[in-house]
Amino acid sequence: MEKQTITIGLPRALLYYRYAPLWKTFFQELGMETVVSSPTDRDILEQGTALAIDEACLSLKIYLGHVAALVGRCDCILVPRVSNFGRHRNMCTRFESTPDLVRSVFRDSGQKFLSYEVDEELKKGEEEAFVELGKALGSTAKAAKKAYKAAKKAEAAFHKERVQKHEQLYKRENIKVLIAAHSYVIEDPYMGRAVTEYLKRAGVISLRADLVDREAALKHSRELSPTCKWEISREILGGIQQHKDDVDGIILLSAFPCGPDAMVNELITRRVKGVPMLNLVLDSQSGTAGVETRLESFIDIIRFKEGKL
Amino acid sequence: MEHAYLGIDVGSISTKGVIIDKKNNILSSQYIWTQGDPIGAVKELVRLLEGQFDKEKYKIVATGTTGSARKLVGTIVGATMVKNEITAHAVGTTTFYPDVRTILEIGGQDSKIILVENGVAVDYAMNTLCAAGTGAFLSSQAKRLGIEVEEIGDYALRSTHPTQIAARCTVFAESDLVHKIQMGHPREDIIAGVCNAVAANYLNNVGKGKKIVSPVVFQGGVSKNQGVVAAFERTLGCKVIVDPNGHLMGALGVAILARRGSGRQEFDFAMEDMEFRTREASCGGCSNNCEIICVYRGNELIDSWGNRCERGARVH
Repeated sequence: MEKQTITIGLPRALLYYRYAPLWKTFFQELGMETVVSSPTDRDILEQGTALAIDEACLSLKIYLGHVAALVGRCDCILVPRVSNFGRHRNMCTRFESTPDLVRSVFRDSGQKFLSYEVDEELKKGEEEAFVELGKALGSTAKAAKKAYKAAKKAEAAFHKERVQKHEQLYKRENIKVLIAAHSYVIEDPYMGRAVTEYLKRAGVISLRADLVDREAALKHSRELSPTCKWEISREILGGIQQHKDDVDGIILLSAFPCGPDAMVNELITRRVKGVPMLNLVLDSQSGTAGVETRLESFIDIIRFKEGKL
Repeated sequence: MEHAYLGIDVGSISTKGVIIDKKNNILSSQYIWTQGDPIGAVKELVRLLEGQFDKEKYKIVATGTTGSARKLVGTIVGATMVKNEITAHAVGTTTFYPDVRTILEIGGQDSKIILVENGVAVDYAMNTLCAAGTGAFLSSQAKRLGIEVEEIGDYALRSTHPTQIAARCTVFAESDLVHKIQMGHPREDIIAGVCNAVAANYLNNVGKGKKIVSPVVFQGGVSKNQGVVAAFERTLGCKVIVDPNGHLMGALGVAILARRGSGRQEFDFAMEDMEFRTREASCGGCSNNCEIICVYRGNELIDSWGNRCERGARVH
């Protein structure tokens, strides 16, 4: 009898935007299939909002909507626990709690969930985590290790190519705006996409602070804050530090309410001077007027400065 | 015939209009309440402006709209320039006060700060989507205290011991205010406290981290409130200029932008007698169900917006 292929569900939210190449390659190498929820739409947002407590951030609400969209469509849904990569290299506590939270929210759904845990401070590295994950899915340790190596390679190649392509944008002549945001905020159609699309229509080149060489960014981030403890925030800080002189303005883009951003964005406004800055907070209201007014006037200020208005 | 330019600023609370000549002299100006009906307000505004305007001598060759209803109103009046209120205020103010360094602006639902160097806006900040401490807050508190919003300033200036009111959030400020009323604080002290809270809230939020340099110009509807002006002067330790036409600055700014812009379209006062209506349609092309606003003149669809993608362009 032919062995049935295992299908793994990947919610298109939160860490998906960071780890998609890693996850997809890993499961593919082990002969499994992956299914990704479709891009965020209003159904997903509304369903996620209904499942989350009020105080949860918009990103988590959207995540729960994506999990709900995958329930019953795969053998198991991947919900990792990524806690930290060492000292001063923490992820938001959100990423520590998601597996427990998701299991609890969907406890009556009959859906199986799959997790792995990265916590370098407790000596739980990513490689070991993936080997365990492979074993839990019926692979040998050796096969899992090989799949992880291949996935890691694919991840690095993907990021490198993306960064290189992105670097080319800095050479263009138009007005350039650097957006400091988590990837899952800026890439989501219901959050940051409205902002980047508006900028595109306005003839502005939007750049991303987080699309940089990560190791170099971590080093540069210390120049702005030696103690900032959030890994993704540090990548963004490093990106700003590297590119603040190459752009005409910086947009700090957050989903409401974001703990790390509340602190780090304040740090950025205090320590990065000499470039116009816009603090933009997105929540789930459907009207984009407030956002458009702020973006339009921000671009006007830049044009004013250059005498083009 | 000489050329003239019309600027209309339709905010959440009030609707402002000016007609200027080539040298930015005001030929006609009006300030009325929006009362939740921007279309009705604009028709009324145009009717009032027409009354003061010499149609034999001038013709309006370009029209600008600003404020939160700028798009809707821009469609209805056939605007040649539709601009956000921050840009409009910056342009208006720097035209009349070329030396200005800081513009404070508090309107009905927005508040903003614009920093100017050498007549050019270089930085700004705006309240986040929360409307704490704006004109809407002042008018609801005036109602609670049983006075007209226009009287707030006079009451506040009579106070010698302003009451401390929590400034952070409108909801907290309101419960604090009710508590202070029940404790027996005199009304003028509470009103002065509310004015101080508005100024403190503004400086702690919108003005946070911004270097406020004199000359400072304060405008927007709330600048008509002497109590808030006094609170700003005390806190900032410098004179705060309030232009008698400060409430018109957005309309003036967008009229100037319309004059500078390349678009030309003669304005027709006949619009005040035309029938305009809007309709909200749900697209249904996908699960986003975009809310699309359709604007009609009589039965003719003149514009629509709100769709996230092309699919919505067909929905009327």
